Amino acid sequence: MTRPGITGVGAYAPRLRVTAETVAAAWGRFDAAGIETTAVPEADEDALTMAVAAGRRALTAAGVDPGAVAHLAFATTTPPLAEGDLTARLTSVLGTPETAHTQTVTGSTRAGAQALVGALEAGPWGEQVGLVVASDCPRGAPDSGIEHAAGAGAGALVLAADGPAAVTEYASHSHPAPGGRFRRSGETETPGLGVTAYDRETFTSTLGRAADQLDSETTADAAAVQSPDGKLPYRAASTLGVETETVAAAETVSSLGDTGVASVFLGLASALEEGARSVLLGAYGDGAGATVARVEGAVPVTVTTEGGERLDYPAYLRRRGEITREEPAGGGAYVSVPTWQQTIPQRHRLVAGRCPDCRALNIPPEGACRVCRHRPETYPTVDLPGTGTVEAATRIEQGGAPPEFVPQQSQSGPYVSAVVALDGPDGETVSVPAQVIAGGQSVDIGTPVTAVVRRLYTQEGVTRYGFKMQVAGLRA
Amino acid sequence: MGSNRPLDNTRPGPRRAFSPLTAPDRDHGGGVVAQTPSVRGGVRSAPVRGLTPRDDGKILYDTSERSGVNDAYVIGAGQTPFGAMPGESYRSLFASAVDAAVAGVETGIDRDDIDEVIVGSLGVGGRQLGLSAPAATEHLGLDGVPSTRVENACAASGYAVRQAVQAVKSGMADVALAGGVELMTDMSSDVTKYWLGVSGETEWERLTGTTFAGVYAQMASAYLDRYDATPEDLSLVSVKNHANGATNPKAHLDFECSLAEATDAPTVADPLTLYHCCPTSDGAAAVLVASGDVVDEYTSERVRVAGVGAASDRVGLFQRESYTSITAAERAGQRAYERAGVGPAALDFAEVHDCFAIAELLAYEDLGFCERGEAPELLAAGRTDPDGALPVNTSGGLKSKGHPIGATGAGQLTEAFDQLTGAAGDRQVPDPTYGLTHNVGGSGGAAVVHILEREGRA
Repeated sequence: MTRPGITGVGAYAPRLRVTAETVAAAWGRFDAAGIETTAVPEADEDALTMAVAAGRRALTAAGVDPGAVAHLAFATTTPPLAEGDLTARLTSVLGTPETAHTQTVTGSTRAGAQALVGALEAGPWGEQVGLVVASDCPRGAPDSGIEHAAGAGAGALVLAADGPAAVTEYASHSHPAPGGRFRRSGETETPGLGVTAYDRETFTSTLGRAADQLDSETTADAAAVQSPDGKLPYRAASTLGVETETVAAAETVSSLGDTGVASVFLGLASALEEGARSVLLGAYGDGAGATVARVEGAVPVTVTTEGGERLDYPAYLRRRGEITREEPAGGGAYVSVPTWQQTIPQRHRLVAGRCPDCRALNIPPEGACRVCRHRPETYPTVDLPGTGTVEAATRIEQGGAPPEFVPQQSQSGPYVSAVVALDGPDGETVSVPAQVIAGGQSVDIGTPVTAVVRRLYTQEGVTRYGFKMQVAGLRA
Repeated sequence: MGSNRPLDNTRPGPRRAFSPLTAPDRDHGGGVVAQTPSVRGGVRSAPVRGLTPRDDGKILYDTSERSGVNDAYVIGAGQTPFGAMPGESYRSLFASAVDAAVAGVETGIDRDDIDEVIVGSLGVGGRQLGLSAPAATEHLGLDGVPSTRVENACAASGYAVRQAVQAVKSGMADVALAGGVELMTDMSSDVTKYWLGVSGETEWERLTGTTFAGVYAQMASAYLDRYDATPEDLSLVSVKNHANGATNPKAHLDFECSLAEATDAPTVADPLTLYHCCPTSDGAAAVLVASGDVVDEYTSERVRVAGVGAASDRVGLFQRESYTSITAAERAGQRAYERAGVGPAALDFAEVHDCFAIAELLAYEDLGFCERGEAPELLAAGRTDPDGALPVNTSGGLKSKGHPIGATGAGQLTEAFDQLTGAAGDRQVPDPTYGLTHNVGGSGGAAVVHILEREGRA
């Protein structure tokens, strides 16, 4: 049976950056070779929200409706929950079918490649597709090389029977070599023993043994190699059988930092965007294991990874939550989980209701219609496109945030709370309250905005994900 | 069943007198002698001043519904100072306010005369959230009197007074005590902020990270955008109300502030600065409402509740028809004018709900003091200054006098009563006949407007 091919690639990285100089100025040294800047997640971003962003871009690039997804794999070493099925929320937000086969792959930075292999062997799915998303935001101790290198990002691949970019061959290799980089259960920071020669040897030889199984005669335009820093991937060039220029042709680590499981997918997206037509993937995870694959052919790519605002070091520490406040005692607005659950279609996918009497759009679609005041039995649903316009807005500054938003404000600074008129399908609008992501700036009335899904807040330990609006075109 | 002790229906000994029954020592000045119009069961031909006929030629305000029901009169009103009072409890504050109201009754009043008690309170801090009205009245020794808490956020005690008026007008009570109390300064700022947001629409609006400063700031943004108004227009509200509050011995922030201080203060939620926001205060206020049948037993100064109007609206701003007006307040105002048979031009002063500076500008327009978009001009021209055509917030308003949420509405009525009885001291408006109070719950989910008339002057 023919394996599915890649029919669309998406990539996403947060807009915030911290430079090597900034970290070096704080610590007197910078312990991540070959890195100029790293991508820093906003306080309301995590591996799940980045996965959404990349997954949506991949589906857009492929021109595939989310309803066509039969297989959804989510790879990350930094899941926001150690236990709890995050693919259910990913399914809901992406709007992929509830009946799709889903899996979470974690525990190694090669989990994205492992998920890819799993999908290749599970597919094809007839007229349907597979979606493999790799998303990561690694952390280390603030003074460690792992933290200095740590970036953030996500990559996603749509696989289909007729995908134009074939995964012509793939191979894996395992090698019991612990201690390079590992994280014990319950911890958030990843340490390593720092045995440099041992780490390097394990990295290069494990990748090499995986690559040894491939057809050595085939060349590649680019090699997307696991990049814990900006130096190691080049060390593996010879064992992978490629030139260092070939590795450089797919590198993202110098600008995004170590993106963990997303590293190889982001490299693939970058190489494809630059015109590469044959790309060698070299995924590696300490412990150790490697998976290599060869991708041949052109495929549409949608990439949003360019950097925007550059953080100073205190702002960086605030984003990391190193020096910020937890939610204070005193209680936040209590929305029970079952109550929250009733609003999931609106929070995740902007599903409005249309009044059967006057046809006005309503969010939430319950109770009396906001326009004609009739109270229908049910509201027929309408999917909103996710664009809108600011109608009223304020920037909440110090002292203006309720307790449950103190952590967000402490990490990200002032935030914009607004009333936004969301566009309906036929030129009508429906107004909703929403935070507006505006890079810390105020927002004028009339500003066009687009929906993204972020962390809204956490109560009783349960993080509530939902839409926020982002100023259209924001990256600066 | 255990021991079958009989219910003690006949408590031994006489009920204690309502002590102290302070004889009024106010100088009523002005030599106003109330005439006694025919009010009981009959139609009073109320003067209709300041009314503009509608385009269709109909009389705008219909006074006919007043026929057949009792009129209601404020016979006493009082408040504690508003501010930070760490030595007080919600019960001691409420008792002090009731003492002040009782002290304002010209001939005094016995507590046995009180037929009904309504206590407005949001319940900030939790405390005795359930049965807080009986808990407050037990402290007064008013055991046995029906006592209810009314909650409508910042309009709690405005609604409490409205219920007292309803009780009297319906004939169920001859005298009803309505008031409000809130204790807000004995908590950490984080806990306070939690409570400041509980009346916002919780599931959607609040979860964008707003307390009321944020929601009113959104309204301000829409207003400034729509009418090309400026932050200085907001600051002028603060300047005026602080100047007024500086002359009010019961004001929380009894100091003046300059235009620059107001505009340049730290931003809370743009465009609102700290000086565009009212403080959180401790305080209580109480109002005694009596029927026309008994009013003359208590006072010769007849301050009639000429009209009361109330309305609700969507709790969340995003669900409303307008972000640049408070529809509930507009409707409440129209109903109050209608029932009083007077319009805004008849008013001699008004106490409006200036929880944030923008709210006072919206109030001018919602209450018909000026056209839409003209509030900044009305304010800047001095029309609402103490010596202007329509003094607004002579007490200092919520901004300067303070905003103990549950006490605010009754506090506004206290200022109105003092003005109409010539007891407003340095803040006294000359010989007023009509005064209006405007009390808004949350960002406009509820509103209640009272119009009081000093009879004998109209």
